[in-house]
Amino acid sequence: MSTVTTIEPLLHSYYRRERLRCRPKTKVFLRPNYLNYSLKSVSNAGRFSCNFKKFQRIKASSSSTVDTALVETFESADVFFKETFPLTRTETVEGKIFVRLEKGKDGKKWQLSVGCSLPGKWILHWGVNYTDDNGSEWDQPPKNMRPPGSVAIKDYAIETPLKKSSEEDIFHLVNINFDLKSDIAAINFVLKDEETGAWYQHRGRDFKVPLVDFLQDDGNVIGTKSSFSFWPGALGQLPKMLLRAEASHSKVQDSSSEAREPKHEKKHLEGFYEEQPIAKQVVFPNSLTVSARKCPETAKIIMYLETDLPGDVVAHWGVCRDDAKNWEVPAPPHPPETTVFKSKALRTLLQPKEDGNGRLGLFTLDDEFAGFLFVLKLNENTWFKCKGNDFYIPLSRQLGSDIAPIPGKTEEAKQEVSQTEYTNGIIKEIRNLVSGISSEMSRNTKTKEAQESILQEIEKLAAEAYGIFRSSIPTFSEEAVVESEALKPPVHISSGTGTGFEILCQGFNWESHKSGRWYMELKEKAAELSSLGFSVVWLPPPTESVSPEGYMPKDLYNLNCRYGNIDELKETVKRFHEVGIKVLGDVVLNHRCAHKQNQNGIWNIFGGRLDWDDRAVVADDPHFQGRGNKSSGDNFHAAPNIDHSQDFVRKDIKEWLCWLRKEIGYDGWRLDFVRGFWGGYVKDYLDATEPHFAVGEYWDSLSYTYGEMDHNQDAHRQRIVDWINATNGTAGAFDVTTKGILHAALERCEYWRLSDQKGKPPGVVGWWPSRAVTFIENHDTGSTQGHWRFPGGKEMQGYAYILTHPGTPSVFYDHIFSHSRSEIAALISLRKRHKINCRSIIKITKAERDVYAAIVDEKVAVKIGPGHYVPPSGPQSWSSVLEGKDYKVWESS
Amino acid sequence: MEVSVIGNSQATMVRAELGYRELGSFCSPRNNYQNKILFRRNDSVWFASRSARWRKAQLRFTVKAVQSQPIRSDRVSGPTSASRPKSRDGVRLFVGLPLDTVSDCNAVNHARAIAAGLRALKLLGVEGVELPIWWGVAEKEVMGKYEWSGYLAVADVVQKAGLKLHVSLCFHASRQPNIPLPKWVSQIGESEPSIFYTDLTGKHYKDCLSLAADDLPVLNGKTPIQVYHEFCESFRSSFMPFMGSTITGISMGLGPDGELRYPSHHRQVKTSKIPGAGEFQCYDKNMLSLLKQHAESSGNPLWGLGGPHDAPKYDESPSWNSFFKDHGGSWESPYGDFFLSWYSNQLISHANRLLSLGSSTFGDSGIKVYGKVPLMYSWYNTRSHPSELTAGFYNTNNRDGYEAVAEMFLKNSCKMILPGMDLYDEHQPHESLSSPESLLAQIRKACKKQGVEVSGQNSSESGAPGGFEQIKKKLFGADAVDDLFTYQRMGAYFFSPEHFPSFTKLVRNLNQPRLHLDDLPEEEEVTAASVHNNSDTSVHVQAAVY
Repeated sequence: MSTVTTIEPLLHSYYRRERLRCRPKTKVFLRPNYLNYSLKSVSNAGRFSCNFKKFQRIKASSSSTVDTALVETFESADVFFKETFPLTRTETVEGKIFVRLEKGKDGKKWQLSVGCSLPGKWILHWGVNYTDDNGSEWDQPPKNMRPPGSVAIKDYAIETPLKKSSEEDIFHLVNINFDLKSDIAAINFVLKDEETGAWYQHRGRDFKVPLVDFLQDDGNVIGTKSSFSFWPGALGQLPKMLLRAEASHSKVQDSSSEAREPKHEKKHLEGFYEEQPIAKQVVFPNSLTVSARKCPETAKIIMYLETDLPGDVVAHWGVCRDDAKNWEVPAPPHPPETTVFKSKALRTLLQPKEDGNGRLGLFTLDDEFAGFLFVLKLNENTWFKCKGNDFYIPLSRQLGSDIAPIPGKTEEAKQEVSQTEYTNGIIKEIRNLVSGISSEMSRNTKTKEAQESILQEIEKLAAEAYGIFRSSIPTFSEEAVVESEALKPPVHISSGTGTGFEILCQGFNWESHKSGRWYMELKEKAAELSSLGFSVVWLPPPTESVSPEGYMPKDLYNLNCRYGNIDELKETVKRFHEVGIKVLGDVVLNHRCAHKQNQNGIWNIFGGRLDWDDRAVVADDPHFQGRGNKSSGDNFHAAPNIDHSQDFVRKDIKEWLCWLRKEIGYDGWRLDFVRGFWGGYVKDYLDATEPHFAVGEYWDSLSYTYGEMDHNQDAHRQRIVDWINATNGTAGAFDVTTKGILHAALERCEYWRLSDQKGKPPGVVGWWPSRAVTFIENHDTGSTQGHWRFPGGKEMQGYAYILTHPGTPSVFYDHIFSHSRSEIAALISLRKRHKINCRSIIKITKAERDVYAAIVDEKVAVKIGPGHYVPPSGPQSWSSVLEGKDYKVWESS
Repeated sequence: MEVSVIGNSQATMVRAELGYRELGSFCSPRNNYQNKILFRRNDSVWFASRSARWRKAQLRFTVKAVQSQPIRSDRVSGPTSASRPKSRDGVRLFVGLPLDTVSDCNAVNHARAIAAGLRALKLLGVEGVELPIWWGVAEKEVMGKYEWSGYLAVADVVQKAGLKLHVSLCFHASRQPNIPLPKWVSQIGESEPSIFYTDLTGKHYKDCLSLAADDLPVLNGKTPIQVYHEFCESFRSSFMPFMGSTITGISMGLGPDGELRYPSHHRQVKTSKIPGAGEFQCYDKNMLSLLKQHAESSGNPLWGLGGPHDAPKYDESPSWNSFFKDHGGSWESPYGDFFLSWYSNQLISHANRLLSLGSSTFGDSGIKVYGKVPLMYSWYNTRSHPSELTAGFYNTNNRDGYEAVAEMFLKNSCKMILPGMDLYDEHQPHESLSSPESLLAQIRKACKKQGVEVSGQNSSESGAPGGFEQIKKKLFGADAVDDLFTYQRMGAYFFSPEHFPSFTKLVRNLNQPRLHLDDLPEEEEVTAASVHNNSDTSVHVQAAVY
């Protein structure tokens, strides 16, 4: 029962990607005033690039595979432990992209070639501008221009895979043929690596190949004297690459710059050839086999490590005496090539294997130790751990019980005994309680309590078992996971769930700042929102901000903004409290706009009450020259990213949040862009502010293959769940996965997507319902931005889904005040009537091409999609209560 | 008057109360005044609130006094437990342990998880667990060299947890998780692949031995049946301390995945939603020679040269070729009848060999022997039932193929395990013309007719839609299975928040009917506690009646 989780988020943010794709259609670039950093960096900045951790992301997990080669050396009778752990190693490989424009042989046709020398599934994502179109939007090229294998993406782009002309060819290549008679002004493209989801751009923008001369140079034209840079998606190593790209631009051949005379004639088109260096991280699967055997003669334990990692591998190891896993250095003799590291651990260079493939190490240990601990070190920056922890190999074969059919009890075994006694004790007590049940006949009032406590104990044990089964080390080691909390009956209020019965209203859209008095407008609607059944309202970001919408905060203590002033905000919060609605403040903790420039002219010195200097800015974003530590998450490039690892920063933020709680009366938080910093800091902030409810925006890309969304989005939801886990479950997260899958299901009539392989909902809500905040639209995805708009006309199907399902649903302002209002109100009232909550039990009863149906808590049945469905008749009978376009809801009577 | 009842070891709480109820009715006619029933659990006594305070001391004293006496008497227990009505007792619920509970180097995997899991199950009132014991683990290296330590350790833990153990002897290999056949068997198979099932194109199925080799000395001079027999003997003697107490049932592995069938569907493409007809597996050397003999002795030597030439491929729909055609297909021809009778009889004889081996080895230790019959429900709604035919069940619109199977089970006094009890017809792809529910009903009818008891199992680990409802139906009411139900299977998913609560609910439903005790005479004052003797797995229920 091993689970192998290796690859961390390698995918580029959907958020970013959508913006990339649709960029010409958005207004993002037209908002000039938040680019408050030096002009020098403008050319390769833009809000749309990401910077990522430079760590090698390596995770190992175990599986129960058996290495037969080992059996000869290790007689099976004595081997009591053997595991093979996959080690995922990423390595940066370098290559180049070339772009060539040349005239065809017949002199009429032209050919644009784009090639890439790195291995990968390369896709050219491209579109054209027509001469008669003044806008910057992409259009689809004429059919005859599209190479074979092209796929149309919506109505503005084409995706064409790059191919190798032969196996030996190092370049993946695509050729686009066109003739100049067509009225195409320019070809735009970006290069995408399907394997990693990374996008490669030109100077933070699309590549643009002008075919007419009068095109305005937006700074991203190629074939001119300009520097190139590439923005990979979630790949690491960006800073390095960036430098490399910058340094190399002098090598760029430039043949067409002279041709760029200001003549409005096409005829002057000239061929060019350019090359760009690029780097990408390639994942290499390696493995490590660990076996342990007891030497019958010496009663010592022999550990045997074998790996196929290349190069010098050092085992950094120690032993421990108990479960606490405290490292200890065993007494000598040590294996050859061993050094003592800070008297805490030993470092042993693994020896090359005789066949030259990989390394091995032998360690002889006394049997007094309970466990063997180690990590592997490949070089200074590359460490291999086991799922983020040290490898831990128990040096005993005992079961989790006090029986010992095998002679030679170890420390571990003794500990197990006491543990067993302990649990037996609990069981004994429970049995006493069980007898409470049996006395039901005497109407004992204690029965219920007793039953309750038994069930709780069962849940606790199940959670423990679940935790261990899920973690892959097949022997006793890891602790039960947080899911145990999710198992608890929904009585206790936690900031991750609120009461469990919350229904959220997003109380603004992208335009709300325009009136200048949004707080007051919303205040008028408080009673109405309360009567609709909402329990929580999410207000827009309250601080002074460089952008009017509030997401580029500057002075955190200045709460006069485009939505209204601080007093109006307080009044509004008070009004919501009067009508029984809790209020979430939208807090932007990832980044902050500076007040002053440093000596280099970089905007990274803050003012106002929190007058931090550049130590509060992360170090790994070259635009802002921060002197803090490296970012603990992804970077947001339009403003200095805050370094939350600094104690003074955290102290100030906690103070600020507490001030907001007290001064304004906020009950909780909506946390912006939480991908930017470690979830553990969020936990810290939430512990300090004890909100009623908190939800984070962890938005990144789903996985697609050739423009078609994959059925299995487990990796995507895993990343969100990982974040929630990092907050220790103190915050919920928007269920972006569910939104994405609803898009695909509704748009393409593929309702089967709404059940995962295990017959559960495919989003976060299927895995950790109590922490999933489901939504179909927000100010970014919809409203006037429309970065990732929910399929038009199908919103009610979306609401029928999220308002009947577990999770905490969030309804978007625009939808409440639209013609859908009464339908949404009916769904909310149904949800409340049947007490559907974030932990409700869902049973999917149908997930086919044109219809999806589920039964929730055995009380409510819902179907969406045009297909036919009636709930199964059985012990319950169902009566239809709500019906709309392509959805229907029943309740059990 | 004092009466002791010994539940047949391991009575659950609930059974304890049952015992009480019967005692109550048994005693009350003779005692017009108050009856008091006292259940003792360890040293602590739990009193119901209605018991008069002054009486407590007296009661407690009585209990202590009783405790000091040996109470393993059979005075009353015989008739009481024997008269326990089946319908009230309900079905015993078992849960399968992970397939890789014992790793192939005989260590116990997930030991702590299993320990916690067992406690949870015990508290839930689950009767026991099922443990797969693999040929490829216990007799891995050399023929005749058995390594039971890992399995013994598990049996011990199960016993300590106060649960029962149903053992499945697996003479096949598993793909996921990877548990191969014993190494020495695979080595023999490399030089002599005819010990494996073979299809028309000559491809071998290497996850279990062909039934045609059963009685041939292909394994270092011994026949597979002899090897299985020695394996069973070794198991029996090694597990003697558990036999009949903790271990209450043993399933004999009968073929692929332990089921009685040919591996007719093993090359199915996983992604296709509609299973094909499957292929006949009668092309290994030994099968062919058996077929030839049979054909010659029945006067049709030409029929003995191979299987049907007009059967479709694994993935193909039955109508792709003429053998299974609904009307005028070769299956209805005299040749078809000849071949299908022979093919299915071979399978029944094979099962007979193994089940009689099982009964003779384990029968006298008070252990029930089981065999698992698969539910080949695809294409059940066609006339020819292709999936069943290729798997070795000659069951068509014209002929009941399961009566002979049930008869063979009866002959060996074995019980039958039937999987797929959680499946609904309506959830099957319409195009596959399948009907798990009708097939299940047919097999159970055959068993009922022969008097063979049926145990249930669910179909898969991940759970079919609505499975719990369907299982519930199979556990109660007229449709209830006779014996035990094994729920598959413990693991991460089993204990996950998305699954475990539903399972808990199922089990609680299961116990519910037995918790209704309101039908007791109202005027009786009752004090209840229950007894658990920790030093021993058995639970003693003691009733003191004044």
